[in-house]
Amino acid sequence: MSAEKLVEVRNLNVTFKAEEGPVYAVSDVSFDLAAGETLALLGESGCGKSVTMKSLMRLHPAHKTRIEGQVKIDGVDLLAMRPAALSALRGKTVSMVFQEPMLAFDPVFTIGDQIAESVRRHEGCSYAEGRKRALEMLERVRIPSAAKRLDAYPHEMSGGMRQRAMIALALACKPKILLADEPTTALDATVQIQVLLLLKELQRELGMSMIFVTHDVGVAIEVADRTAVMYAGRIIEEGPVDQVLSQPWHPYTQGLLAATVHPGMNRSEALPAIPGSPPQLTRQIQECAFAPRCRYRSDACLEPMPAAYQADNRAVRCIHALTAEAV
Amino acid sequence: MSALLRVQDLKKYFPVGKDLLGRPTQVVQAVDGVSFSVEKGRTLGIVGESGCGKSTTARLLMHLIEPDEGRISIRGKEFGRIGGRHPVAELRRQMQMVFQDSYASLNPRLTIEDSIAFGPQIHGVSEREARQQARDLLDKVGLNPNIFIRRYPHELSGGQRQRVNIARALAIKPEIVILDEAVSALDKSVQAQVLNLLADLKKEFGLTYLFISHDLNVVQYISDDVMVMYLGQVVESGPVEQLYQNPSHPYTRALLSSVPSQTPHQRKQHKVLEGDPPNPIAPPSGCRFHPRCELARPICAARQPDNVRVSGAHQAACFALPDSSGYSEYIQLQEVCA
Repeated sequence: MSAEKLVEVRNLNVTFKAEEGPVYAVSDVSFDLAAGETLALLGESGCGKSVTMKSLMRLHPAHKTRIEGQVKIDGVDLLAMRPAALSALRGKTVSMVFQEPMLAFDPVFTIGDQIAESVRRHEGCSYAEGRKRALEMLERVRIPSAAKRLDAYPHEMSGGMRQRAMIALALACKPKILLADEPTTALDATVQIQVLLLLKELQRELGMSMIFVTHDVGVAIEVADRTAVMYAGRIIEEGPVDQVLSQPWHPYTQGLLAATVHPGMNRSEALPAIPGSPPQLTRQIQECAFAPRCRYRSDACLEPMPAAYQADNRAVRCIHALTAEAV
Repeated sequence: MSALLRVQDLKKYFPVGKDLLGRPTQVVQAVDGVSFSVEKGRTLGIVGESGCGKSTTARLLMHLIEPDEGRISIRGKEFGRIGGRHPVAELRRQMQMVFQDSYASLNPRLTIEDSIAFGPQIHGVSEREARQQARDLLDKVGLNPNIFIRRYPHELSGGQRQRVNIARALAIKPEIVILDEAVSALDKSVQAQVLNLLADLKKEFGLTYLFISHDLNVVQYISDDVMVMYLGQVVESGPVEQLYQNPSHPYTRALLSSVPSQTPHQRKQHKVLEGDPPNPIAPPSGCRFHPRCELARPICAARQPDNVRVSGAHQAACFALPDSSGYSEYIQLQEVCA
């Protein structure tokens, strides 16, 4: 992966100021994204995957959030950007698709107008040209009778159609990076696979990079080249998706995969569940956050976590990873 | 063995919109002629996409929504609000339900103990006994009663709350428990814990489950029998191994092959179905799946297919099945004409 790095994140920390005290949502997260590559951020609720993603567009309210570290998008330092530059970046260089398109669209404007506005804002073209692009995009995401749908309001479309329209909006200005935050989680199975395949196809056509947030191992397998598994605000394992998800190194990744029900399981046997639940992030956890639930736990796990162990294009943050791998 | 729960021709049409005189202008055919039966100690999985009527079916069974038509009987005793049927209160003593949203289904102002002990007291158990039972049940669902009994729902995690909901459902000693997407909102590591718990409780109390879910992998793992619904109707049903190995309705086949792969070397290359499930307000004529079906022929739009036996208890409603009437004859006719 020596290709051009579109996204470079180094030691990202995101802390929210809450009334009850700080919440350390993301700690010491580093990763790269190459051109044309798809990275899946995989993890359970509260692990910091969406927070990481939103930080890449600085969507968190500034007065309640402290972001530290370094984020470079297409070579530009994101954290130093002024509001005007930031707003030029959003939707143009980096674009986002959310889980619930009904909440992401403005309910009082038609789909066509919302796409056209984005195109006009970023490319300075006329309204008519914006509409033309909107139509082109709706056809591209294969919305049936697209010309008619231009004048539809978000509530007039089904969930799958809305998510397609959301993708059309996000891609209208041909961004270099698409951030997709659980875009198919709210969709039915038969529609989910349609949208996943559509995203992959559009990615090939437009040559963009994607970061895909998901809690679903199957979805990560379907779309990603590489995956980063997150737990309690940290990336605990990273690498090519086929390797990480077929031979996981970290005990949490192993546990997660074993606990996920998949076809061909022995129905008479109990599921190998991970005991306990993820920790609260109201304290800055220096040691391994998974240790209380981990079957390989030893006293050394309670020491501050060492740097990631790296080999074969993979990285893992666990002192037992190598022995665990052998087990 | 005779069926513990038998449901015949269950129907519910919801009116939508009103004209000047307050008459409904359209109806949603949410559940349209659903019949099935469950034997004691078995788990029936009900799968389908949103809007297929699986949750409405559950609510109709519990009489949380009044059915328009249909019979619900447990051990041959028929329940309902119509004269001559046994009262709904008795039905609910034998059948309880766990919902998807663990927070919304608990009263935020009641402690865990009060929530669990509430049901039995309504059904005539003394307060002391109900409270003792609540402690025992908490222990059974894996929550230490000394720690949790005085807590409020907001102090618990999602997985813990769902355990409380399960304990509450079991408090009045039902025979049948309906689990309506009960593990769908939980993270995978917690979901596995709750699925194990459900399996243990089933064994211990001899329960019968109706397991409603959109997660086909989980349904395969937990169910003995499976029923696939599409737009308010049952399209296929049968023992889980047979149905998953030999899905016979084109919709079941599409649904099963839409599940994301669990192995990186078997990524999906082709989508199996186009478009979204249609609107249940105006469902397609004939077989409701025909507009999305690759096997559709004119007869599919003209008539509703009957249930056809695939093998044993495995049934599907599709004209394209070999020994079904109409379809194959129609195809032959076409060939002759051509």
